[in-house]
Amino acid sequence: MPKSLSVKEPYPPGDFAIWIIVYVELVTFGFLFVGYAFSRRVHLQMFNESQLLLNTNIGFINTLLLITSSFFIVKAIQKIKTMTQYNSYESSIIASKWLLSAMIFGILFLVLKLTEFSHIFGQGITLSTNTFFMFYLLLTMFHFMHVSLGVIILFNIYQKTKRQGYSAEEYRGLDTGATYWHLVDLLWIVLFPLVYIIR
Amino acid sequence: MKMNVERVWSILTALSVFAFLLGDLKLISTFLVAVLLLSTFIKGQLVIDYFMGLKEVQPKYRIIPTLWLSIVLSLVAAAYYLPVEKL
Repeated sequence: MPKSLSVKEPYPPGDFAIWIIVYVELVTFGFLFVGYAFSRRVHLQMFNESQLLLNTNIGFINTLLLITSSFFIVKAIQKIKTMTQYNSYESSIIASKWLLSAMIFGILFLVLKLTEFSHIFGQGITLSTNTFFMFYLLLTMFHFMHVSLGVIILFNIYQKTKRQGYSAEEYRGLDTGATYWHLVDLLWIVLFPLVYIIR
Repeated sequence: MKMNVERVWSILTALSVFAFLLGDLKLISTFLVAVLLLSTFIKGQLVIDYFMGLKEVQPKYRIIPTLWLSIVLSLVAAAYYLPVEKL
């Protein structure tokens, strides 16, 4: 069958409920991103000056951490999807290691972000300092909460994978957790250039 | 074109390095903001297609995040490029 005629899956991976959450989160963050961009127009100088106080290196490392952790999760799912009854133990262990690596990268993201927050707060900056920092703190702290929840979800699917709780036929829970983590990654992919780079 | 995830990860990393260098070397200019937004769109679409797995799913599920990405980045571009009216 030609590729163009290949049959598409009827539903996206994971529980359908997670996709409702994904779409709602995208819209919520979308409003904040656009709000930031249009506020910047009005307070251009203040946004550019305030942005200089951010640590671009940390933002960049965090981008790599999230992208790579998402990649690790895809590798874990691939391992589970292709496992057979003869190699289910080995496949589950390998997949759990991919998930553990993804979780460690997620924790590293949180640690770096806390370092950045500590630096910002150490300078006496708060939500009410100016419009730039209001948006910066709102966006990044909201995203931080999502990453924290994502790490908890990863911990749960890691444990279930290690216990051979998923098979090549039934891995919906794994897909659901992975979808949430990819959402967190997708949001950061827009957030990083918008807040740290564009000036 | 179908890509393996290793290649997707490599492209995402390369585009992130590009964005970082623009910011770190203070190379960002009016023109390069458009290039940066385009590269952000590519990165987002790669995550939607290959990490979220929506490339293999019926288009109606894929079109929602793709539209979101297009609209958000277009509005960011509009906010950046449209002239500010003086009161």
